[in-house]
Amino acid sequence: METFQKLLASSAKAHGHLCPGQAVGVRMAMLGCRLIGLEDPTEHSQIKKLLVYVEMDRCAADAIAHVTGAKLGRRSLKFTDYGIMAATFFNVETGSAFRVLSTEEARDLVPFYAPGIGGKAGQQLEAYRRMPDSVLFRVQRVRVPVKDWDLPGPTRYKTVCSRCGQVVRDRREVLANGEILCKPCAHGAYFQDAREITWPEMNWAPAPGGATHEFHHREHLRAPVETKEKRGIAPSYAEIPPH
Amino acid sequence: MIKKIKVQDAVGTKLAHDVTEIRPGEFKGPAFRKDHIVCDGDICHLQRLGKDHLYVLDLEQDEIHENDAALILGQALAGDGVKCEGDTKEGKVRLFAERDGLLLVDTAALAAFNMVEEVMCATLHKHTLVRAGEMLAATRAIPLVMKRVPIDRAAAIARQNGGTLSVKPLRKAKVGVIITGNEVYYGRIEDRFGPILTEKVAILGSEVTGVEFAADDAEMIGKAIRNHLSKGCDLLLLSGGMSVDPDDVTRHGIRLAGATEVHYGSAVLPGAMFLVAYIGDLPLLGVPACALYHKTTILDLVLPRILAGEHVTRAELAFLGHGGLCRDCEECTYPHCPFGKGS
Repeated sequence: METFQKLLASSAKAHGHLCPGQAVGVRMAMLGCRLIGLEDPTEHSQIKKLLVYVEMDRCAADAIAHVTGAKLGRRSLKFTDYGIMAATFFNVETGSAFRVLSTEEARDLVPFYAPGIGGKAGQQLEAYRRMPDSVLFRVQRVRVPVKDWDLPGPTRYKTVCSRCGQVVRDRREVLANGEILCKPCAHGAYFQDAREITWPEMNWAPAPGGATHEFHHREHLRAPVETKEKRGIAPSYAEIPPH
Repeated sequence: MIKKIKVQDAVGTKLAHDVTEIRPGEFKGPAFRKDHIVCDGDICHLQRLGKDHLYVLDLEQDEIHENDAALILGQALAGDGVKCEGDTKEGKVRLFAERDGLLLVDTAALAAFNMVEEVMCATLHKHTLVRAGEMLAATRAIPLVMKRVPIDRAAAIARQNGGTLSVKPLRKAKVGVIITGNEVYYGRIEDRFGPILTEKVAILGSEVTGVEFAADDAEMIGKAIRNHLSKGCDLLLLSGGMSVDPDDVTRHGIRLAGATEVHYGSAVLPGAMFLVAYIGDLPLLGVPACALYHKTTILDLVLPRILAGEHVTRAELAFLGHGGLCRDCEECTYPHCPFGKGS
């Protein structure tokens, strides 16, 4: 694994700014990986051995994802919306798992660990570098019962919502009174008043070339597309009808 | 697990902790020690101490008694030159100096330790000069029984950087003194700085091995410094010429002698115009004239730290500001006063 300083710099670049949350997140990930015996989880041989559960969507979450290489789309990064500054690091191979919690007292101890450093954020950053893990974190050994369909890899199971017809993957369906439903139909959703629409330029697709060209090297695999460039019209979404 | 029983039903059971007796102005100490087996005769005594109930303990695997906890904490807190007593008294463990020297306290670690719930440690101020055998700190776990994990975590915090408290011995320096100023050099007045500095050095166990005099001439001051160095001095004290007058050239002389670091000005009164410089690792302290008048000044705060091997820089001089104002009492009681103890 890279040094703390290098990881902090690259994490800040990936996140968009350097902040105390980055320092806490980087150190949390370094400790978590060390505890489960993964020296460098971004290395090819280790990349599939790690699951990370982050319990907040704050700066630290990005730092944890950056250091561990865990990604939502690879299913190695799990977001559990607890609003707690904590993350659990799970070694898929050995089953060992540790929940690392950021201590609240670390915030109060900042002036003690970085006296004489001006600016609140700068002082926090330096203090979070200087504090030993014992001050910055509490750690719990935990058991994480991971279901097969939560593991990385291809989709293992699909079904269809009997109300809206949407395909539901990975056992996220709900059985209600003998009916198979998607979660929005069963419990309601974060969105409301969903009505399907059409929009101008709805036949737009990117021009051929680049990565997709290399990937689909056989010409016949590419579907015929009509591009906005060909038609010489800038895409506009202004004509989308309001609700 | 803790079970509460009536004191009358406690005959034959072991006390779970020391029971303290306080007779105002006369006695404070344990009337009964932990593991004492309660007998009939004890009941009235315990009731007089306000004990109508007692605890009976049956500890779980992950629990720890306050006495065992205090010993773990005390051992973790004790760094180099500090000894933790081997027994607890009323749940407390005390830490003592193993040698004469300067008490160092990692105040960040101490703060972090005390932020762990259910443990505490109180210490003397850091940078206090202590004698072997002197009590420096005491620690205890607050509840009678607690989980082991917070105790182990607090102990880990206490152990960072080799222990929270340490006593550094003062080295025996060969001190060269340079008295600057035309008024003394040309014999207009008698030097009174030399004896004051010599005494302060001697009290700390070092020795002034030579005193040189120099006029307000940077070249001459630089030469005096080099002269002391050639004679094997490993610490220099320079008096006078530290102020803002045109004749105050001591700083310039220090630079001419090859100073690699110069930190001028401290956040202490008396002693704002104090100077710390280094030629390589060798420290030079520029003592302003206030030390001629005030019994205690910045020199008394910094000299022991220099002799304990601390590299004093701008930051150390700046952090002295909080608590750095002498109250100028009619009778000086330093070190039993707040002067210099806020940083």
